[in-house]
Amino acid sequence: MGNDPVLPPPEQGRRSTRADHLPALLLGSVFVIATCGLIYELIAGTLASYLLGDSVTQFSTIIGAYLFSMGIGSWLSRYLDGALLKWFIRLEILVGLVGGFSAPLLFVLFEYVSSFRLILYSLVGLTGILVGLEIPLLMRILENRYEFKDLVSRVFTFDYIGALLASLIFPLVLVPQLGLIRTSLFFGALNVVVAAIALYRFPETRPYRRRFAGLMAGTLLLLAVGFGYAERIMTYTETMAFQDQVIYSKSTVYQRIVLTRNNRELRLFLNGNLQFSSADEYRYHEALVHPAMQALPKAKRVLVLGGGDGLAVRELLKYPQLQRIRLVDLDAGMTHLFQHNEMLLALNKGALNNPKVQVINGDAYQWVRYDTTRYDLLVVDFPDPSNYSIGKLYSTSFYTELHKLLAPDGLMVVQSTSPYVAQKSFWCISHTLQAAGFHTIPYHTYVPSFGEWGYVLAGRNGHWRGNGTLPQGLRYLTAATLKEMLHFPPDMAEVPTEINQLNNQALVRYFEDDWAPYTH
Amino acid sequence: MSVPDFPQCPFLPGRREFLGRAGLGMAGLLLGPGLLESCAPGSPRAHIRGTLRGANKVTGHQLWNPGQLPAPTHTVQTDIVIIGGGVAGLSAKRWLHRHGQQNVLLLELDAHVGGNSASGQNATSAFPWGAHYLPLPDPRHAELLEFLRETGTITGTAPDGRPIYNEYHLCHDPEERLHLHGHWQTGLVPELGVPASDRAQIARFFELIETLRHARGQDGLDAFRIPVDQSSQDEQFRRLDAISFADYLTQHGFTSDYLRWYLDYCCKDDYGTTAAMTSAWAGLHYFAARKGDAHNASSADVLTWPQGNGFLVEHLRRQAPEGILPNTLAYAVQETATGVAVLTYNTLTQKTSRLQARHVLLATPQFVTQRLLHGLPGLFRPTQPLHRAPWVVANLTVDGLPQGPGAPLSWDNVIYGAESVGYVNANQQDVALGTQQKVITYYWPLTDELPKAARQRAYRTSYDQWLTQILAELEKAHVGITARVRHADVWVWGHGMVAPTPGTLWHPGRQQAAQPLRQRFFFAHTDLSGMSIFEEGFYQGIRAARQLLGHSA
Repeated sequence: MGNDPVLPPPEQGRRSTRADHLPALLLGSVFVIATCGLIYELIAGTLASYLLGDSVTQFSTIIGAYLFSMGIGSWLSRYLDGALLKWFIRLEILVGLVGGFSAPLLFVLFEYVSSFRLILYSLVGLTGILVGLEIPLLMRILENRYEFKDLVSRVFTFDYIGALLASLIFPLVLVPQLGLIRTSLFFGALNVVVAAIALYRFPETRPYRRRFAGLMAGTLLLLAVGFGYAERIMTYTETMAFQDQVIYSKSTVYQRIVLTRNNRELRLFLNGNLQFSSADEYRYHEALVHPAMQALPKAKRVLVLGGGDGLAVRELLKYPQLQRIRLVDLDAGMTHLFQHNEMLLALNKGALNNPKVQVINGDAYQWVRYDTTRYDLLVVDFPDPSNYSIGKLYSTSFYTELHKLLAPDGLMVVQSTSPYVAQKSFWCISHTLQAAGFHTIPYHTYVPSFGEWGYVLAGRNGHWRGNGTLPQGLRYLTAATLKEMLHFPPDMAEVPTEINQLNNQALVRYFEDDWAPYTH
Repeated sequence: MSVPDFPQCPFLPGRREFLGRAGLGMAGLLLGPGLLESCAPGSPRAHIRGTLRGANKVTGHQLWNPGQLPAPTHTVQTDIVIIGGGVAGLSAKRWLHRHGQQNVLLLELDAHVGGNSASGQNATSAFPWGAHYLPLPDPRHAELLEFLRETGTITGTAPDGRPIYNEYHLCHDPEERLHLHGHWQTGLVPELGVPASDRAQIARFFELIETLRHARGQDGLDAFRIPVDQSSQDEQFRRLDAISFADYLTQHGFTSDYLRWYLDYCCKDDYGTTAAMTSAWAGLHYFAARKGDAHNASSADVLTWPQGNGFLVEHLRRQAPEGILPNTLAYAVQETATGVAVLTYNTLTQKTSRLQARHVLLATPQFVTQRLLHGLPGLFRPTQPLHRAPWVVANLTVDGLPQGPGAPLSWDNVIYGAESVGYVNANQQDVALGTQQKVITYYWPLTDELPKAARQRAYRTSYDQWLTQILAELEKAHVGITARVRHADVWVWGHGMVAPTPGTLWHPGRQQAAQPLRQRFFFAHTDLSGMSIFEEGFYQGIRAARQLLGHSA
């Protein structure tokens, strides 16, 4: 290789008079560069609308920023002098790296950074600048070898053909087959391949061939590794399972967290089960917190079990008398996400970062067995009892532990699945609480994305009244709504059930039966 | 508690591990092939670390020649010496302690007491090495219920007088599942894809059991009861001891393969023998003596702990912790003018001592008792040795259990048609939402040969060979489990536990063997009950302690 250059040697004064002398290889490179460039732009636009919603705005601003950055790149190209070919090879490797890793980087950073937009636009700007340098630089390399009109004509022809190809295969082939992350990495590799071809076809690269070859091999290896690990960043097949676009997914030790969004709402799924929709979660969380809190004007200490999204805590923070809110959630992955992600912080109003709030990542059952604090309110917001492990968190034994943690006039509220769909499960929870020595007040509300949803208020005595003061600015709960919530029409009325114990797990069996018609 | 865990691989320096595990007290004698640790390089199991546990055979044999031991250098005076720190010995010690006997020494050959209820612990979980559950006890067994109150297992009494059990100690649901026809079904009695004729036989069998559960003899006593000694003397029931359970079943038209498999499994699980080797009385007793009653549990429920019955043993021990001498072998027992002298050998210091006492209580298996008291005038001599099945127990630390369709991981998990009796999830009683990592305890009674042959073969079997067989069986129900096993320790119990073979239980010799001799020698062991279960060991200890207290009073 290299001894038989396809391109004519760069002899001074010799100019090609015919466009046909532009070898196919060169035009191929232009074509690839153009395709890659547009692909990065499309990836950034798509990612932005996935992660931030509002696709028209996102696409429009991303394209604008990208094109503008390309302009900066083109302008900057005039400052590159000397060994242009060497610059071009460097540039291609760099574009391969930056463009190639743009999608995985954005997906990974989405969880961690507090200002995601800054990162997004910085990356778009950087990619744009690098891509903008490519064509001017290439044209200058070739300017002495070919007739200018041929050069311009052919280069731009292939540039635009590449753009057409990219815009067609991106939505039709690449996103459905490879997913965003692998597409990004794959095109990064193509940029590096262009650099490799240039390195081996132009004889003047001989002095630095070895060094650059090593660099390219390293970059390709990185991209390949990224390709192999893409599944860990985002299981592509998973995105097919959700109605909306998956914008975040992560398997923690305990569960798979998935965030999806469309133009209207953000949804959180744990192990495929919907936890909330940003469109109506206020209904769920206002109903969870305020019926108990309005009756506790002197409450100081609250323990929240589960609820790592911080949305219940957001409601609790509307009561200035509370001094300490302790939240115990098993999954650090969950609380970290809701403590750091910009979009989710907007949703929970930074509740988990409030100085009154202590976040503990630990097992709730273990915690309550050893905690000795007396709480005025316990908020029990676990996933539904769909398996034996979670079923234990709804057992007489567990509630007996909670009974010990409750101040004499304190209250507890337990999210208790749907009394409409899972009538027996709901009442089983209420009866189990009674068996553990609680007075119970069951209630329910309508949450559009869940359906009819149930809660059980529990206290050591029957002193609860619904005539307390509600905080200002609630979107759903009023004194009138509260009254309605206490009424159970016949299709959700109390039914006799067993008590859920560790040694019978009656609730899990009810839950399976109740939900079976909906899941099979 | 109990036996520590050694994760190293490949070779540990020669660690003295005597047996005594079979509740032997003096055991070192006959067990094990010494301590081996193996990894098989290049095999699919190469990543699995673990050890083969057992006794130090060389030391054990050396102890058969007491003449080689140095003469005792000093003498210790005490009132009572108990030989053997299994359940019976500990139960006796507890009882003596509660009745004012403070001068009691208990000799245990192993580093820890507990006998068949040995247990271990690693970073993932505590786990049993032997006995691992207690069926909900018959409320008439007052001493046992009192003990369970002391352990916090019974937390109170309901208004109707029934005991309230601690739910953390009641086996958590789901309790049992069976891998049958490629599917995990709930419960161990075969149901899935079982033909109607077999189901009818199974139903008839359980009707029979229900009748027997309530049956009483002419003497007004229950036909089947725990402790065995409190069962009816009525010949119509006792004669069932003369035939095998297998013959009894055939005579009564119980021929269904599914039912017979299940009953064979039950005999193996509780007694370490097949139905053909089990007395019909014992086979029926397994079911018909379950008379537990509770306010918050059903009579079929069981009590269990991550460390198995190691939990109960620890409570027994804690009630009278003074005077327990571990790593101590009794190698001779002599009758003296005023009482007894027990010669002991400390396996750590390698020193011998002479203990002079008024009484000795042998909580040792029959073969050890016979050797220790060889030639003692008046000693009961059995016509033939008790049947003592060898067992293999393995504790596997796994990163999750890949499985096919059906019921989720339960406490007791059995594979239909397998040689083993399945495995128990040591993490069953965890209330925390754990990670995937679990410890499973796999039980395998070696029933395909007579005990002696099976024992000798077991001693020749390497760690790698055990692991190969165990994993081959587990792979049937958990394809891909081999890759997920992190650690696997295997324990060979050479003399696992006494088996109630036909003619053992209601042979007059069993009662004679329990009789004290000249107010000096007392006997307590499950061998004297004919079946090795916690309740019997607990009962035998108290029975012997009461006899002793009666004599000293």
